[in-house]
Amino acid sequence: MLRGLTVQVPAGAIVCLVGPNGAGKSTVLKVASGLLAPRSGRVLVDGADLTGHGPQRMLAAGVAHVLQGHSVFREMTVAENVLLGGYTLRDKQLIAERVEFVRDLFPVVGERWTSLAGLLSGGQQKQVEFARSLMVKPRVVLLDEPSMGLDPKATGVVFEQIVRMRDAGTAVLLVEQNARRALEAADTGCVLDLGRVHVSGPARELLADPQLGELYLGGRPARR
Amino acid sequence: MRKGSELPLRAGRLRTSTLLHVGALLAGVAVALSFPSMAPSPYEITVGIAILNYAVLSTSWNFVGGFTGYISLGHGAFAGLGAYGTGLLVTKAELPPFAALFVAAALVAALAVPVGYAALRVRGASFVIVSIALVLILLLVFQSWASFTGGSRGLVVPRPFPGMLRSEHHRTFYFLFAALLGVALLTWWIIDRSRFGMGLKAIREDEDKAQSLGTPIFAYKLVVFVVSATFTSLAGGLYALWFGDLDPVFQFSILSGAYMVLMALLGGVRHLYGPLLGALIVGYALEYSKVEYGDTPLHLVVAGLLLGVVVMFMPDGVIPAATALLARFRTSGETSIREVTAAELKERHGQGNGTDESEVRNSERSGSGG
Repeated sequence: MLRGLTVQVPAGAIVCLVGPNGAGKSTVLKVASGLLAPRSGRVLVDGADLTGHGPQRMLAAGVAHVLQGHSVFREMTVAENVLLGGYTLRDKQLIAERVEFVRDLFPVVGERWTSLAGLLSGGQQKQVEFARSLMVKPRVVLLDEPSMGLDPKATGVVFEQIVRMRDAGTAVLLVEQNARRALEAADTGCVLDLGRVHVSGPARELLADPQLGELYLGGRPARR
Repeated sequence: MRKGSELPLRAGRLRTSTLLHVGALLAGVAVALSFPSMAPSPYEITVGIAILNYAVLSTSWNFVGGFTGYISLGHGAFAGLGAYGTGLLVTKAELPPFAALFVAAALVAALAVPVGYAALRVRGASFVIVSIALVLILLLVFQSWASFTGGSRGLVVPRPFPGMLRSEHHRTFYFLFAALLGVALLTWWIIDRSRFGMGLKAIREDEDKAQSLGTPIFAYKLVVFVVSATFTSLAGGLYALWFGDLDPVFQFSILSGAYMVLMALLGGVRHLYGPLLGALIVGYALEYSKVEYGDTPLHLVVAGLLLGVVVMFMPDGVIPAATALLARFRTSGETSIREVTAAELKERHGQGNGTDESEVRNSERSGSGG
């Protein structure tokens, strides 16, 4: 349960939510994308109150959600997966433009366009998910544990792509168990515990805090 | 990396595949249309009609089962409603037979909206139970309401072409069932290639994911449920006009719904012709066992055995299993991880800077874990 929690995601920034299991990180994303309706509190997008609206309305407002784990449609092609991301779009010209954009941003998507998504490796599937989320030209993408189940090399590629998404102008709200790696990529960090924001601030400062490192980031930062 | 010669090769394969597909389709249509002329007696034509009726029913079921993955065992209810609706509209309201057929289908479509609205709120086993409840309730209603439906005495539906000889009657209905099957297959094919179909297939894979992408999941499920009920009702109504005698025990039977599921599963629920192929196999097996062994429950044993074989050996159906087998033969000359050593790979890629994607794909398809 979330209590008295406020998370702001500025345009063109990566905000990272870290914290122990059960802290409410994924719940924040589900409320923000309309998959869960809050009992109280508000969801604001560019100042417009969208509290209680479903995923369709939230997507139209520019909020895209990449769910936890591998969330590609395994029995559908990469093309179908990506096009499903633009399901709320009606303009064929716009869809074609967005397809071109995501294929440029994630080359593997173009290379494996006609393959079944279930045949791709974990890292490639994650890139398909990112591409799918960018089809609606979102203002903010909510990423729930994008490195889950990936090897270190694939995790590195995924974080590079997250930074590329930010650099392409999309804000990112990132939930990640790999807290140290996520904070290294993020601009701002929020540490959640028991449904509350325990501490928030610039990601580099959180990373440098030895007490936070002990409590939430899996030990002190490595000396360089 | 993709080799330069691969693209024209794939385009060539695509053209060959399309030509084979069109050729097989034309041959199938020609055989189906010439069957009544080649049949040695009217009995063979009635077997053909029974199989076509099964094919329409299982293709109709496959609108829901194939696209959304919802397994309805109660689709016999819509066939029964279509049959009784047509029969009652002819006998009580004195509508012309084929007008009654379409009015009954429209009424069933209207009824499918509240039924679907309630049933599609639950998933998995709960949906199966709700669908069974529907057919059992209707069986009780049509058996008990004897003054209107004829109850257990049954309902006699007048023949739509009274002056026609029996053999000509069968021949005419053979073509009517074939036409209805053609329309059902065409509708399935159109949906399969549409944006609507893409949304339905996303629902089949994962409803929550589909919803998170903005797919209106409930509306889509309801629409395809109504389409499925309408085609099922048309098949039931046409059966009533052909057979002319309705009994609630047979019309509202869980067994008829189970046959639809079996036929679709046997052929392959994700393939356009899967239910048709399943209907050919199951329909022929049922008719054969009825003729050879008379009025015994042996045909049920045959159906049960077929279901067991499908579940154990071809969980995706005959067509996907045959396609996979062909693909294995076609790619047998290509490389896979099992056949290439690490040293060969390193040599092929110079510094060994990555794994060839086509090789990964081949190994994954063939199920080799490396």
